[in-house]
This record gives sequence, C-alpha cells and structure tokens, in this order.
Amino acid sequence: MSSHDVLEGRALRKSFGSTVALAGVDLMIHRGEAVAIMGPSGSGKSTLLHCLAGIMKPDSGEVHLLGERIDTLGERGRSLLRRTRFGFVFQFGQLLPELPADENVALPLMLGDVSRVRAVQQARSWFGPLGLSGMEGRRPGELSGGQAQRVAIARALVTRPAVVFADEPTGALDQATGHDTMRLLVEATRHNDASLVVVTHDPQVARWCDRVVEVRDGLIVTGPDHSEPVVPDRSGHFVPDPHTPAIAQARVVAQPPGAPAGSYAPGWPAGER
Amino acid sequence: MSNLLELTWRLLRGGGRRGMLGSSLMVAAVAVSTALLLFAVAVNFAFAGRADRGAWRNPVAATGTPRAVEAVRTEFARNRLITVVHVAVLVPGVAPPRGLARLPAPGEVLMSPALAKDPSAAGRFPGKVAGTIGDEALVHPGELVAVVGHAPADPEVNTRWKGDGRLGASPARIAGFTGRPTPDSGAYRALALVASVLMVVPLLVFGGAAARLTVARRDRRLASLRLVGATPGQVVAMTVAEAMITAFAGAVLGLVLYAVAIPPLSQVEISGGTWFASDVWPGALPVAAVLAAVPLLVGLSAMIGLRRVVVSPLGVARRQTPPAMRFVRVVALLATLAVVPGLGFGAAMGTVAVVLGMAFLALNLAGPWVVGLIGRITARTARRPASLLAGRRLVDDPRSAWRTVSGVALTGFVAGFIGLLIPSASLTVKDDVVTAWLLQDIRTGTVVVLMVSFLVAIVSAGITAASSVLDRRQNYALLRLAGTPLEVLDRARSLETLIPLTIMGGGSIATGMFCAAPFARLAMSATGVLTLLACVIAGFAGVIGAGALSRPLLRSVTTDPAPRPD
Repeated sequence: MSSHDVLEGRALRKSFGSTVALAGVDLMIHRGEAVAIMGPSGSGKSTLLHCLAGIMKPDSGEVHLLGERIDTLGERGRSLLRRTRFGFVFQFGQLLPELPADENVALPLMLGDVSRVRAVQQARSWFGPLGLSGMEGRRPGELSGGQAQRVAIARALVTRPAVVFADEPTGALDQATGHDTMRLLVEATRHNDASLVVVTHDPQVARWCDRVVEVRDGLIVTGPDHSEPVVPDRSGHFVPDPHTPAIAQARVVAQPPGAPAGSYAPGWPAGER
Repeated sequence: MSNLLELTWRLLRGGGRRGMLGSSLMVAAVAVSTALLLFAVAVNFAFAGRADRGAWRNPVAATGTPRAVEAVRTEFARNRLITVVHVAVLVPGVAPPRGLARLPAPGEVLMSPALAKDPSAAGRFPGKVAGTIGDEALVHPGELVAVVGHAPADPEVNTRWKGDGRLGASPARIAGFTGRPTPDSGAYRALALVASVLMVVPLLVFGGAAARLTVARRDRRLASLRLVGATPGQVVAMTVAEAMITAFAGAVLGLVLYAVAIPPLSQVEISGGTWFASDVWPGALPVAAVLAAVPLLVGLSAMIGLRRVVVSPLGVARRQTPPAMRFVRVVALLATLAVVPGLGFGAAMGTVAVVLGMAFLALNLAGPWVVGLIGRITARTARRPASLLAGRRLVDDPRSAWRTVSGVALTGFVAGFIGLLIPSASLTVKDDVVTAWLLQDIRTGTVVVLMVSFLVAIVSAGITAASSVLDRRQNYALLRLAGTPLEVLDRARSLETLIPLTIMGGGSIATGMFCAAPFARLAMSATGVLTLLACVIAGFAGVIGAGALSRPLLRSVTTDPAPRPD
C-alpha cells in the first residue's frame, strides 16, 4: 500500500443467510479520489460500503485504512474509527431534528472532546463555503432538502475524515438540487484531501466521480484493478470511455454537462488533521 | 366504513415485529391502567358496602310507633372488639336486619361465624345460640358480633351508653332495623373518594399518554394516507379505531389482572378487618362501564393527538420549532393553588376532592411548560454532547418528556400531600381504639395509594422510554452508524428523564405539601418524612430501572444497519 492508497478491501465476502451479498470483492480507494459504486438493487453495493466503512464485519477478507487493518477491530474501536476517520452522508434522516444546524455539525467534534464553544465555532466556519450562511440556527425541519444535505456534508467533513461515505446522497432531491449537492460534496471532500465513496444507482451522480465501480451479484464487474475508467452510456450500462484518456477523464467530472454553472468561490475552512 | 375497519385491521396486524411491539406496549399500558382504575372504583364501592352493612347497628329513633328497642355496646376480649347488639321486640312481627334469619327471643343469642369459632369470646354470652349472623349484616368477614335477645324491661335495653359514641349507642326505640350509616363510615367513604382522585388522575394522564404514543408512531403512515387522498375523517376513523381495538384488548387484560389481584387485595386490613371478595369486586355494571370508558377515553385522546396530522398532510413530515407553550399554564396552577389556603376542615369533602383534582390537573398542565424551561436552561449550559442532546430534546418536545416523568411527579404530589397527613403511631389501642384505627387506616391507605401511584409511574416511565426508542430508531441508528457511542445516546436518554424528574419531582412534592397544609393538624411526623423519603428513592430507582430495561431495545434498533429509512 503506497501513501497514495487510503482504503483497501481485499477479497471481501459477506452473506446474509443463503443470500450472497459480496462474493469476494477487491477494491482500492486512493487519496483524494471520488469513487462511485453503482449497481442494481440487491447487487451488494450497500453491503460493500458498510464493510469498507466498518459498519459491518465481512465474513472473510480484510479492510485496511492507511495500512492498518480495521475489520478486526471491536465494536468500540470501529465506532471511534467511524467518528474520527470517516464521514457519512445518507439519503436523509441523519440530522437530529431537535438540534439547530450548527449544533448538528458540531456534534461529532463534541463527541471527540472538543469544547462546545470551539466545536460550534468550527462548525459554523463550514456554513459560508457551503452556501448556508444564515442557516446556522435553523432546525432540520426548517431547511430545504438540499440545505439539509449540505448541513450533512458539513457534518461529515468537520472532523477532517480520511474518507467520506455517501449512500444515495441525492436520492431525495430533485435533479438540479442533486447536481448542486454532488458538486459541493465532490469539491468539499477533494479540497479537504479526503476520498469520497458514493453508492448510487443514478448515472448522473456517478458522472461527478473520478471513477465508477459497478457491482453485480456481489462482484465488481469493471475489471480487477479498476484502473480502467468507465462511464455510463445512455442506457445506464458502463462502458470504457474510448475518447478520453484516463487522467482527463478524472478531471472532466469537475464540470459535467448540465451542471449549474455558478460563480462559486470555495473558501473551505482551514482545518487541522 | 367496513372497508375502513378492514384496512385498519390489516394495518394493525401488518405492522411487523416493531409495530407489534408498539401495540403490545400500549396493551400493557392500558391493562395496568384499567386494573388500577377498577381498583380506584372498587375502593368506593367497598367502603359504601361496609357502611350499608353496618347501618343496622346505628339505631334511628322511631317517629311513629316504636316496634323494638336496640342498644349497641362494645366489649373487649383480649384486645379484640366484640360488638354486642341488645334487642327487645315490642311489637311481634318486626322484620330482622338483612343477614339475620330472625331476631333472637329473650335469652337467645345470635353470633357471627368468627365469634362462634372463638370459644373464650363466645363464652361471654350465656344465652341459647339460636343461629349465626350472615355476611350481609357484618362489616367485615372476621368481625365479632353478637345479637342478644331481651325482654323490654331488661336493664341492657334500658341503660344509657356512657362510653365513646363511636363504640356504642344508648337504647333507642325503633320502627325497624334499617338504621343509618355511621358518621365514621361516612368519613371513610370521603377518604376513599380522595384516595380515588389521587389514583385516577395520574391514571388518566398515563392512559392518554399511551394513546398519544401510538398516534405519534403512526404519524408518518397517517401523513402518507393523507397524501394519497384519505379524507381527514377517514384518517381519524382509522386511527381511533386502531387505538380503540388495542385499548379494548388492554382493558380486558386489565380486568383479568384485577380479578387475579382480588384475593390479595381483600386481605388488606382496614378498621381492624379484611374484606369480602364481593366488596373488592365493584359489580357488573361499574366493570362494564370501565371496560367501555377506557377504549372511549383512549380513542378521544388519540383523536386529540391526531389534530396536527389531520390539519396538514405535510404537517408531520417536516418538523419545525414547536410554538412556545404559553405561560397561562403556570397561571392556571397558581390560581388553583391560591384557592387551597381557603380550605380547611370546615370545607365539604366534595369541595376538597374537586380542588385536589384541579390542583392535580393544573400541575399536569404546568408540567410541560416547566420541562421546556428546564430544557432551554440545560441546552444553553450544556458542555457535553449528552446533556446538549437531552436539553434540545426537552425543548423540542416538552410534552413527551413530561409524559415520561409525569407519573412520578404526580406521585410526588400525592406523597407530599399525604406525607404531611400521615400521623405518627403514638396513640395506642388503650387510649382510644377508634382514633387509633383511623390513624392506622390512614397509614394503610397512604401506602396503598402511593404503591398504586408508583406502579403507574414506573410502568409509564418504562413504556414511554421504550416507545421513544422505537419512535426515534432511525435517528439513533444513523447516529450510531456515524460512530456515536451507544453510551452517549443512552446517557442523553437518561438525562432527558432525570433532569426534569429531579426538578419536577421536587416541585410536585412541595405543591402536594402546600395543598395538604390546611388539613395537617399534626406537624410533619417522622413516619411522614420516612414515607416521603422512601417514595423519592423508590421513584428514582424505578424510573432509572424502567429506562434501563429499554436499553437492549436501543441496542437492537441501532445495530440494525439500515441507513435508509424503513
């Protein structure tokens, strides 16, 4: 594992009763890259995310974070890991409805023993860059779906995680808001030198990512080294892109066709790891 | 309508394992409420029964032609009381009291079964034993009673009774043996009424809370029904039907619970005696009324809880800062309390019961407001995540937080109220047996009322804790998924209960003591302080224990990794 590699899953297998969710998956996530995990319902993509994120223990196989094995950690260790090294963005329902937005973002910091005043201060510094100025005191019920997801992005990144996991982050949003949210998610994670793993079934979401991994019947079907860039075609199937060199492919996603062009100037909060 | 009922039934049955768990929680809550409600009702019938059965021994002088002479004395046999009724018939054919086959002729004696079984006591009555006294003429099953027949000229029916008026009656020329209930039995009935009020109000609050919990859990589903076009009427009908079906099941179970509890309950000694099983059984009509009233009240409570959902299909899907509760709630409490000092021993028992009930309800009204205030203070001063979560949650839904602690808080009111009134056991039988009995009985009654209140409080705390976990399972699961330790969630949960419990419990005890002050003849006794202390400890331990019981549930809902809502 080089210093370029952040998270690696090796020969991951997981079954639920007689249903095989993962049938031996190898996957490497590099520093700062955004990877989309795609596949039809029941293909095992969510299980893959859960195993990589230390939510679930695989039946066999190994998960390494920055060279350290994490799948063998106990529940407490994995909890700590999820809280400190990983960030999570879900479809919805992750914000505590009774906490104002800034305290929702500050919560992971407070859990890590940062004082309340500092935690809230740090949390608030994310609101401007994410276009949430003035929303600090609002409660999740008073935010729009897109705003709530941006608060969730802030909460995922406020601890400066190594990897952000997103499970259908735009699933509950309309297309324009979804684009906007994905752009912010990709830019914010990249700016913070974090990797992003997105589980989605939406090709439009996947296009924002540097790389797409397709899972079918518990196996990755896009080649063992996943170095080959693929893009979804019009019918939603993944085909190697014959026109774009791999490097350019990774960058083109920064402004996909149809994305709202904005005079967006990121000013991500300076943070410490 | 039948379609609607069928759909309701399918939704009720198809709720899945957690839906079933939620419904069983409500069945359990309603069962406990019903059993205790039956008890609270039965207490009144029990004392009324005693008063009726003892009435024939309280002679009423005839206004017309006297037909018999009746005199009542009390004798002591080794510290046991024997009630002796001396009877002389003036006009043959006078009807005997209920429970007596006939009146004894001069020289004859009738004995109660307990007296007949006690040869040393029975030996005091040398006459010919002409029969036994039936249950209908006995105040309690173990009572020692003798009815002695005399000639009209005998001294026993011509000598004035010089002892305590509550233990005997001078000879009176009577027209019949109907008599009238003694003033003492009236006092007991009034005390029983007060005890009922003290028990029923928390029960109603608890029952209503249980009904609203189901509605809260159904919120999302109901909003979906509204979204697909169900009319408000249909949604109300379905939810109310569901709540009432569940409540009826709970009520029947409660009846069974109560029936099982009758034998031990009838052994509770009051006024030196236990109870007939028929005393503790309130009778078919009151039972039927309770069985009908419980589902109706639950349905009504569900309907009130539904208002928000019915108004708007989106009303519950989006949570907003709830409007602050109005201070008027506290004003209501203060206004009620302002009436209290005007009361005293002069006030009619009915008035006292009404004011007491009002104070109770006002306390319940002011509770959520105070909980909200506590929440704001807690949230503002919180330094740790657990207390921040707890405080914000209190602010967000002070009513549900109040529901969790209301049982104990209202018990605190009861404890404060009777804590002042519990007399110390300094009087002995020798001094004044009836007063000693009364004091002993108040103590017994206090303990019974407190036990009932505690049962309600603890069951209510347990059920609300479990159902709050169920309601918030998605939040909890996602928080845990993102690495929040289970302990933090658990600590937040217990703080959410303990902070208001400490403040509200203390406040209620003080309020209860304030309400009792006009009636407290005696200064606060050591017994009272001890009882109060025991209450506080038992209350806290019970609520903590009941909350801890739902910890496995918290663990199970959070280990299920379902990041998408189910």
